[in-house]
Amino acid sequence: MEFEFKGSRIVFKKELSSLDKLVIKFTKALAKLKVDYVIISGYIAILFGRSRNTEDVDLFIEEMPFEKFKAFWQELGKEGFECLNTSSIEEAYNDYLKENLAVRFAEKGMVQPNFELKFPKTDLNHYSIKNKMVVEINGEMLNTSRMELQIAFKLYLGSDKDIEDAIHLWEMFKGRLNLELFNGFVKRLKVEDKVKLLE
Amino acid sequence: MFVKKLPKIDLKELKREMELNRQQRLEFVRQYADWLKKTPNKVWSKQQAKYLNK
Repeated sequence: MEFEFKGSRIVFKKELSSLDKLVIKFTKALAKLKVDYVIISGYIAILFGRSRNTEDVDLFIEEMPFEKFKAFWQELGKEGFECLNTSSIEEAYNDYLKENLAVRFAEKGMVQPNFELKFPKTDLNHYSIKNKMVVEINGEMLNTSRMELQIAFKLYLGSDKDIEDAIHLWEMFKGRLNLELFNGFVKRLKVEDKVKLLE
Repeated sequence: MFVKKLPKIDLKELKREMELNRQQRLEFVRQYADWLKKTPNKVWSKQQAKYLNK
């Protein structure tokens, strides 16, 4: 795998899968309306070559006023996406996002893969969106969480799939990580005992 | 033909087997990552796209 670090950006080229293309299409709608976001899910491991599929792509989107969310909703509709939870914009905003629940969007008529969106709630959520990393893939930009946080958080989640994702990302990026930052997350998430699984 | 008599299940042995499978899976993830690091993007991503696009 060839990739290049340009400041806080990772730049690389790959043959895009249908999942990559869908993620790019979805995040373009976010970028068009200047909605700040960060991808936090297993898709990051898949983006960097992990050999598995996923049914959802998790993102935090910045907390925004209703009018901006409405414009975003309409843009997604134009791009062929629909909300799976509700057809009401007000309900999606007030009863889901504002209540710290996720709303899911998928291509019209489809259920999977879907995009699970939440407003950031905890300090850690806010950290991930403020300290995101930009991945430039075939000239398209995606915002992902920092690898140091992503790997530590995967260890925290702890399912077999999460541990495998953590090992994969560790193997791909271990020479490039800020170990002080990584160890800080490991300590705060209390996953010191799981770090040995990475080696 | 349905066999009415169920097999004996040694839960300790089953647990050992599961742990061994888990260790082997983790080892394979490492081996795959090693291969990925040595393989041009054009090659691995073509394989990945073929698998994901099924």
